[in-house]
Amino acid sequence: MTDRLAALLATLIPGDADWPSGAIVAPVVAADLAGVEAAVLAVLPADFAAGDEAAVHECEVALPAPFERVVTALYIAYYTDPQVRRVLEARTGYEARPPQPLGYELPPFDDALLDRQRLRAPFWRDPDKESA
Amino acid sequence: MLVDPPIDPPVDVVIVGGGASGLAAAWRLAMRGRSVRLLEQGETIDQRAAPSLGPQWERALQSRFHGNPNIRRLPADYPVNAADTPIQPASYTALGGGTQRWGAHFPRLRPGDFRVRSLDGVGEDWPIGYADLDAWFDLNDRMMGVCGVAGDPANPPRPERPMPPLPLGPGPKRLAAAFDRLGWHWWPADSAVATTPYGERGACNNCGPCGVGCPRLARASADLAYAGAARAAGAIISTGARTLRIRAEGARATGVDYVQGGIQRNQPARAVILAANGMGTARLLLASASPDHPAGLANRSGQVGRNLMHHPTAMVTGLFAERLDGHKGPFACVLFSQQHIESDAARGFIRGYQFQAIRGGGPVQTALGGYMARVPWGRGHHADFERIFLHSVSLTVTAEDLPEPDNRVILDPVLTDSDGIAAPALHYRLADNARRMLDHGIAAGAQVMRAAGAVDVVVNPFVAAAGFHFLGTARMGTDPGTSVVDALGRAHDVPNLVLVDGAVFVTAGAVNPTSTIQAIALRNADALADRLEAA
Ligand SMILES: Cc1cc2nc3c(=O)[nH]c(=O)nc-3n(C[C@H](O)[C@H](O)[C@H](O)COP(=O)(O)OP(=O)(O)OC[C@H]3O[C@@H](n4cnc5c(N)ncnc54)[C@H](O)[C@@H]3O)c2cc1C
Repeated sequence: MTDRLAALLATLIPGDADWPSGAIVAPVVAADLAGVEAAVLAVLPADFAAGDEAAVHECEVALPAPFERVVTALYIAYYTDPQVRRVLEARTGYEARPPQPLGYELPPFDDALLDRQRLRAPFWRDPDKESA
Repeated sequence: MLVDPPIDPPVDVVIVGGGASGLAAAWRLAMRGRSVRLLEQGETIDQRAAPSLGPQWERALQSRFHGNPNIRRLPADYPVNAADTPIQPASYTALGGGTQRWGAHFPRLRPGDFRVRSLDGVGEDWPIGYADLDAWFDLNDRMMGVCGVAGDPANPPRPERPMPPLPLGPGPKRLAAAFDRLGWHWWPADSAVATTPYGERGACNNCGPCGVGCPRLARASADLAYAGAARAAGAIISTGARTLRIRAEGARATGVDYVQGGIQRNQPARAVILAANGMGTARLLLASASPDHPAGLANRSGQVGRNLMHHPTAMVTGLFAERLDGHKGPFACVLFSQQHIESDAARGFIRGYQFQAIRGGGPVQTALGGYMARVPWGRGHHADFERIFLHSVSLTVTAEDLPEPDNRVILDPVLTDSDGIAAPALHYRLADNARRMLDHGIAAGAQVMRAAGAVDVVVNPFVAAAGFHFLGTARMGTDPGTSVVDALGRAHDVPNLVLVDGAVFVTAGAVNPTSTIQAIALRNADALADRLEAA
């Protein structure tokens, strides 16, 4: 069962030279799903192997709700995985750290951006004036 | 026949619900010297330990901080039957209510929003106007701690904000330039975010995920703004305390039955305030039916639960070749446009909509799609992900809903909360007028994105998860035959029962409602204090 889950996850998120495949988070996904994946795995062919996207598409059509739960659990586990986050940092510069406590610089608002809008006359409707 | 539970010492006012409106009302009444007990079914959250301090913050956002109670399923949540609505509920259960989870975008309803029938011949007029709320808006802004800049031509003048607005950041900055190029309105949002230290709250450090709470306390929530001040003025705030029903004898509410720590009790009071949000308040009124009030409390008009309004939402996302760093900065409260908010018959619909800029999210949210479709799985997954991540900015099309009696909250005949109280069931259809509005907004939003230089524009024509606002389910009015409460939130049938949340809205406007909800709560609480003082 674990091998089949790993193969499914590696089909959903295949690895390449940089990115690891979804299979690296199979234990986390299995724990999160607590058995939901069984129905999905059961409809995959007996000889299902990683990369068989056609079989996975059929499964998505046959069991949309549980399939969606598998994909959601995978995306959550994968993109919070430390190894994946290091790859993400290397490729995009998005830091592999939590948002807090460091946060980011809060530059001042540039008031000059409003120069055009400040020229505009008020355009909200005043019901008291309209009915007067 | 109800069994009488043990009775607590009586108070002047018992308030049901410790969210945006309930806490504001508790503070005002306690300040005015009234004895107040507030009952909140959720727990207190210590935002100083917010999940954004740890690596699993995005997991928290998808689980215990999920906006949908049916997915989140905290022990204190009640389930919602949402099978018969295209808009799924979004709310939060804790002290602070929805403001634990919110985006802190803080616009006000506009003067014309209170006179929709007179101006445009649809919906109903409110029995109050903008001027009745003006001073309460300002007071609430000071309590919540609002940043922004005065001078917006789309809205009536308001005092200089105590803190400067949030910086736009690269994505919204492109949108601002595009609005300028098109000659369309935009303005930096009033946001309930401290951009400089504010009382005991630190300044925002642009970290991004406001929705899991703010460890610097820069993003306001109703508990931060009001709970401490209410307690200091003598209010008793009880968490983990779920109200089961409001008790009434004839035309007089006598208090509420509640359960805390598994024990049922009764809190007697001279007046009862309901602040359980437009869904929870209608539910409790209906669940408080009694021989004197067989159709539900305060429901002689049959209007309780009806006229449910949301803000139907579409999303237009621009993908840019340049990096926009959408993960930096508060998610949803930096810039808005009210270019198309007023009626214009030439557009093919009545009333209008607002654009609200939305930055990109973290990696999980990007992959799951946020309010868009999720990134496809399969061989192209990483390429698609990298095209979007850090490279997108969105505009919501936030449409005005109009009251329709068949859009409603009723009690589910089967589903209950963990204390056996019937769950709400939502019945809602999107009106043709709102659909046309969304379609106009999608086309206009795409025009903005192209003017901003987007290489691709992706549209979600209808955001199913956008059930953030529950309005109109016990509306105010002067006629007890067609409304539930009067201009001060007093139930026509039970005048010492006062409503202070979005249930009392007569129409919805096209803006996020919390600033207006809280202004109404302060005003109604103040008027109740006057009445209790005089009695
Ligand atoms: C994800 C999200 C984003 C949002 N963003 C914005 C935004 O940017 N701007 C904006 O204006 N609005 C926003 N909102 C909406 C905002 O949160 C609500 O408008 C606001 O909280 C409503 O205030 P309220 O007091 O009516 O209800 P709530 O704040 O929902 O409070 C009601 C409280 O009553 C409690 N309660 C219910 N039933 C019972 C019971 N039987 N016994 C005891 N307690 C009970 C609930 O637990 C809850 O805490 C957002 C909401 C969500 C979910």
